[in-house]
Amino acid sequence: MFRKVLVANRGEIAVRVMRTLREMGIASVAVYSDADRNSLHVRMADEAERIGPAPSAGSYLRIDRILDAARKHGAAAIHPGYGFLSENAEFADACQDAGLVFIGPSAPSIRAMGSKTAARRMAIAAGAPVVPGTEGPVTLAGARDFAEVAGYPILLKAVAGGGGKGMRRVDRESELEAALRDAASEARRSFRNAEIYAEKLIERPRHIEIQILGDRHGNLIHLGERECSIQRRHQKVMEECPSPLVDLRPEMRHAMGEAAIRAAAAAGYYNAGTVEFLVDRERRFYFLEMNTRLQVEHPITELVTGLDLVRLQVQIAAGARLHLKQRDIHWRGCAIECRICAEEPYNGFLPSPGKITRLTRPLGPGVRIDGAIYPGWTVPMEYDPLLAKLAVWAPRREEATDRMIRALREYDVGGIRTNLGFFRQILEDPEFRAGHLHTGFIDEFFERRRPPLPPADLAAVAALAAALHARSRSQAEGSTSTAVSPWLRAGRSDLLR
Amino acid sequence: MKLDLTIDGVPARIEILLPPPACRFLFNGDERAADVETPEPGVYSVIMNGRTYDARIEENAVVIDGFRFVIDVRDPRRLSRAPSGSGRAGVETIAAPMHGKVVRVLVAPGDRVEAGQGVVVVEAMKMQNEMKASRAGRVATVPAKEGATVAAGEVLATIE
Repeated sequence: MFRKVLVANRGEIAVRVMRTLREMGIASVAVYSDADRNSLHVRMADEAERIGPAPSAGSYLRIDRILDAARKHGAAAIHPGYGFLSENAEFADACQDAGLVFIGPSAPSIRAMGSKTAARRMAIAAGAPVVPGTEGPVTLAGARDFAEVAGYPILLKAVAGGGGKGMRRVDRESELEAALRDAASEARRSFRNAEIYAEKLIERPRHIEIQILGDRHGNLIHLGERECSIQRRHQKVMEECPSPLVDLRPEMRHAMGEAAIRAAAAAGYYNAGTVEFLVDRERRFYFLEMNTRLQVEHPITELVTGLDLVRLQVQIAAGARLHLKQRDIHWRGCAIECRICAEEPYNGFLPSPGKITRLTRPLGPGVRIDGAIYPGWTVPMEYDPLLAKLAVWAPRREEATDRMIRALREYDVGGIRTNLGFFRQILEDPEFRAGHLHTGFIDEFFERRRPPLPPADLAAVAALAAALHARSRSQAEGSTSTAVSPWLRAGRSDLLR
Repeated sequence: MKLDLTIDGVPARIEILLPPPACRFLFNGDERAADVETPEPGVYSVIMNGRTYDARIEENAVVIDGFRFVIDVRDPRRLSRAPSGSGRAGVETIAAPMHGKVVRVLVAPGDRVEAGQGVVVVEAMKMQNEMKASRAGRVATVPAKEGATVAAGEVLATIE
């Protein structure tokens, strides 16, 4: 087993990986940019190395500096987390050339699944169903021809895409040219690759994905599904395991699991990976893409299967045989995860970086938090707004939902805006509770949402707290010159009169 | 201590008659009693009519049990005065919606812009926000510089 592992990431996922490393008796090496000197992953690691300035292009994406840090600290392997270099085949190759183990799949597997069109061809060859689409990148004429046959609406997608970037819905031919131009320019900006392909659009699909796990000896199993239909801007914000749809249909889980394994096997895949599917209203599923890394939402699979995916990843990377067979995998209860982000849901999900002045985290039965924030820490503006992942487990979906609402009520993050209250409203929504999920859920939720009315006394209590706070600030006047909000200042000047 | 305030834009008045912990106050003319403690900075634990509330102070709001009240405390003497206004009539100010970095400036002083036209792009946390003109006009000033870091509320451009 490795004695020391470098974690080529930051924030909550770096902390998550280090926790397991410590449990395994493996020393961890953190890397950090100038914006992250005070970040929790640096404080928690056994060793740490600065790798560059705040922008990730000069730090977390610098393969050379990360490899230098690994050599300097004597790490035997590198865990890439998710994002940054985790799906970069060049990085996987560079690790191998440097004599380091990349904790993930092989570079050829990453390459095979990295291009959406190549992955589609592989899925087709492996017999996994795919959404009707073009075989490769298209020009305007090609997209028009495809749409004529498949029918509108269609979806334009970046060949090198991910995270919803370079994606456009097209409802009629008149929109096609502008949409293709926009998608291509966004794709060029995001992935340095402007190639776009076209797919038939599936209306109100569910996003359901299968976690797979394989060793370097040809064993490949699946750990069941996660449903990730609650998305904003094509990015998941809330996930659950099992899917309320699939859970009622074991044969569907079996069929999707088999399809995922076939697609992964076709790419010679090992280590942890996720095969994403879209499911239409007739419950037909279609291969969407494969993520060749640990997923953000892996904790819910861990809660339901009782496994530690990071531990398994490390063991597999060290050459161990998978001791688990498909029949050993059991799914117990239900887990839900909310991605707690520094953003304002009711203001277009506008990012809200800043200093965390106060923090209370939920505790109690069935609650797990994967986070990297602490009171007094300033959330940097350079990176993803994900602060923490709050996950709960309970025997049944209904109980897990109630438990999540309870946990959200306990959670308090002061100083920045978060989406904590927004999740609570979704969890209380009857459509959510009935399990009627699809990827357009949040858009429709905004339309039907009626903000709940606060109990009668709440405004009086709020006014009292505001007045007392203004008063206490005025008493502390002079001892501090830090910026206070206008209403506190106004209250203070009133009191000083 | 008397304060005029607005709660989510609705005017209200509060007067503290007795300070905490055994607090008495008038809220919109009704007298109430509440037991108040401050267990953590910025957090008020209030027991009123046997019910307990944790009121948490945010920048311009108070959050209780997931309900957020945007509260503006005013100087009562200024209330009668006409609002001073936020600048010359007919000038639109485009301000940064958040702390971030100016990634693109799409206009220059003197340019004509249409309503809805992009003016400046600000990026934070991997999300780009295109700030748009809310009406047609001529670009008067563009303090925003590409690559510069801006604070929330900082003026990026003005249109007249």
